[in-house]
Amino acid sequence: MLEIRWHSRAGQGAATGAKGLADVISTTGKHVQAFAFYGSAKRGAAMTAYNRVDDAVIMNHEKYMEPDFVFVIDPALVYTSDVTINHKDNTKYIITTHLSKEDLIKAQPKLEGKEIYTVDCITIANETIGRPIPNTPMLGAFMKVSEMYDIEFFKESMKRILGKLPQKIVDANMIAIQRAYDEVK
Amino acid sequence: MAFDKMELKDIEVWDGNFAAAQALRQCQIDVVAAYPITPSTPIVEGYAKFLADNYIEGEFVMVESEHAAMSGCIGAAAAGGRVATATSSQGFALMVETLYQASGMRLPIVLNVVNRALAAPLNVNGDHSDMYLGRDSGWIQFDAFSPQGAYDLNFIAFRVCEDHGIRLPCMVHQDGFMTSHTAQGVETLSDDVAYNFVGDYKPMNDMLDFEHPVTHGVQTEEDWHFEHKARQHNDLMTKVFPKIEEVFADFEKLTGRKYNLVEEYDMKDADVAVVCMGTSVETAREVATEMRAKGIKAGVVGIRVIRPFPFMQIAQALKDIKAVATLDRSAPGGTVGMLFNEIAGSMYNLEKRPMLCGKIYGLGGRDLTKAHLVELYTELQANVDAGKITTPLQQFIGVRGPKLSFL
Amino acid sequence: MANKGWDEFEIGAMLRSFDGSIDDIAGTAQVDRTYSPSSSYTASVADWRLVKPVFNKDYCIDCQFCWIYCPDVSIIARDKKMIGVDMDHCKGCGICVEVCPTNPKSLLMFPEQAEEEAEIASWPAKDEEK
Repeated sequence: MLEIRWHSRAGQGAATGAKGLADVISTTGKHVQAFAFYGSAKRGAAMTAYNRVDDAVIMNHEKYMEPDFVFVIDPALVYTSDVTINHKDNTKYIITTHLSKEDLIKAQPKLEGKEIYTVDCITIANETIGRPIPNTPMLGAFMKVSEMYDIEFFKESMKRILGKLPQKIVDANMIAIQRAYDEVK
Repeated sequence: MAFDKMELKDIEVWDGNFAAAQALRQCQIDVVAAYPITPSTPIVEGYAKFLADNYIEGEFVMVESEHAAMSGCIGAAAAGGRVATATSSQGFALMVETLYQASGMRLPIVLNVVNRALAAPLNVNGDHSDMYLGRDSGWIQFDAFSPQGAYDLNFIAFRVCEDHGIRLPCMVHQDGFMTSHTAQGVETLSDDVAYNFVGDYKPMNDMLDFEHPVTHGVQTEEDWHFEHKARQHNDLMTKVFPKIEEVFADFEKLTGRKYNLVEEYDMKDADVAVVCMGTSVETAREVATEMRAKGIKAGVVGIRVIRPFPFMQIAQALKDIKAVATLDRSAPGGTVGMLFNEIAGSMYNLEKRPMLCGKIYGLGGRDLTKAHLVELYTELQANVDAGKITTPLQQFIGVRGPKLSFL
Repeated sequence: MANKGWDEFEIGAMLRSFDGSIDDIAGTAQVDRTYSPSSSYTASVADWRLVKPVFNKDYCIDCQFCWIYCPDVSIIARDKKMIGVDMDHCKGCGICVEVCPTNPKSLLMFPEQAEEEAEIASWPAKDEEK
């Protein structure tokens, strides 16, 4: 079982990103689950979304999760949310930030000793899609870190999922995914 | 057919709401009268979009309340159309008056209930309070444990309720957010296969049949009312289960997916068992398997059909069990939980009555964790080892503050 | 209607107007329709009445007000002409008299035992005050 927790703000597309990732993975024969915590949160409020991936049908519907990966797609949430809650020794973090890894850990000492990857999904989204929607770039970075799928296969799959959007937006997302794949460190 | 068909992958990643909306599209619902409410909104929103995009020949009626939504459905069903809608929580509560009208008038409406807590305090998350509120309304109630169930049970519901020997409305329940907003793989049916399973709607006593004029919604006082209610109860008790089992069998032939009135998991040789509904059934199955690895013979009973209640089937499933816990996801308001009551009644005349205790859990969407269930099975095994119930009969799971238990 | 047992009637809170099918219902007058025994058309409520409406066609302008307002569909009209009152279903409520706009009124209430011809012969004159 592979488990992922997303930290996001409502409106940044974490729930959509989690469902998109689940959709891609499902086409390769694996079983998936994607959900989010909602409540009455309005756009901008901190929220979390979740993915589960397994070879067998996923029966577990508990919301509690000790994630293998933590995605932080908004740069402020490493300070205001508890992004390391319920972590495991080998939990990997992919964090959106303009800071270097060293400066990030200095600013948030809780990340000391964790396996951390950084990528500036907000800047990438702004420069490619034209809006700060950092969900698809985060998935590009995840493909690099996890080596889950070949990036070309992943982009082709995402093209299908984003299919109903205008071609310009789909193309911009492809560039964003590739840039995050190349830039994550 | 004048409408467009949709190409679906064999497995689509859908949440429970979208799965239900797709089922309504494939069943070609004539009329949806709806007043959307979280978390069921995407079901009727989905129907409206499919309609606007020419995937359905039908009518979406916007109304001013849930009471009006069900009233519109009743009118459309009496007129002679295939009718469905969806609601949750406060909306369901407002609909209650008309639920009794629909069942008493014997109108085959399918209501998707995305289960959510009832205020106060206001809460949009999933528990079974609204489901319990409908349990005396004379409707057939199916319960989905996953998005796949929410999809499949809609087809099954139409086949059952539209049968001229049944003609009773059906609810299809799914857990708010835990099913409705959780995307999982759903094995799909093609549009033609799905529609053929449900079949063309066959009207009965429809008001649009001008050669056979009828008056619907008549008044009866003490001279006739009892006979009407007795007839309805008789049909619920004697005709519905055979029909459901026939439809379940047909559905299995078509899809390979097998549904049962009572979903037993590892019950054959179990010592301890939990009885529950919704997503908790699947989580409990996973934990039961893990308990067996630890030497505790654990089983799970999931209630697939809540009304009519599978009284005898439950007794059969639990007859050799030593200790049983019921899991009620609704505040019982001064008594034991509904499942505790029903299960106690089912088991009362068994030769070896299992020990029974009841748990109240998950109110307002509070998480039921695997750790809770491990603790519960361990406690049941302790009762078996002690040969008696070692805890109070009613306990709350997962609530903060001093431990709450009663009786 | 006989008080049947729970298993002896059709399901639903539903009553049929006719046993079997009917053609051209809109083109068939009530008196020519073969209503079902479960239809209230075959039930008389004449004995509920203490006062009755008497119709005087000399003053009627066929405005159809009485036909529209009668709560028991007891005004008989043919080709938009008022021809009388269905005395099997009239309960004597007097609404038809209330709404009648002519002067004098073309419908008036009289005791149940009153003679119709005698009352028409002594019908009140036009009220000049109005």
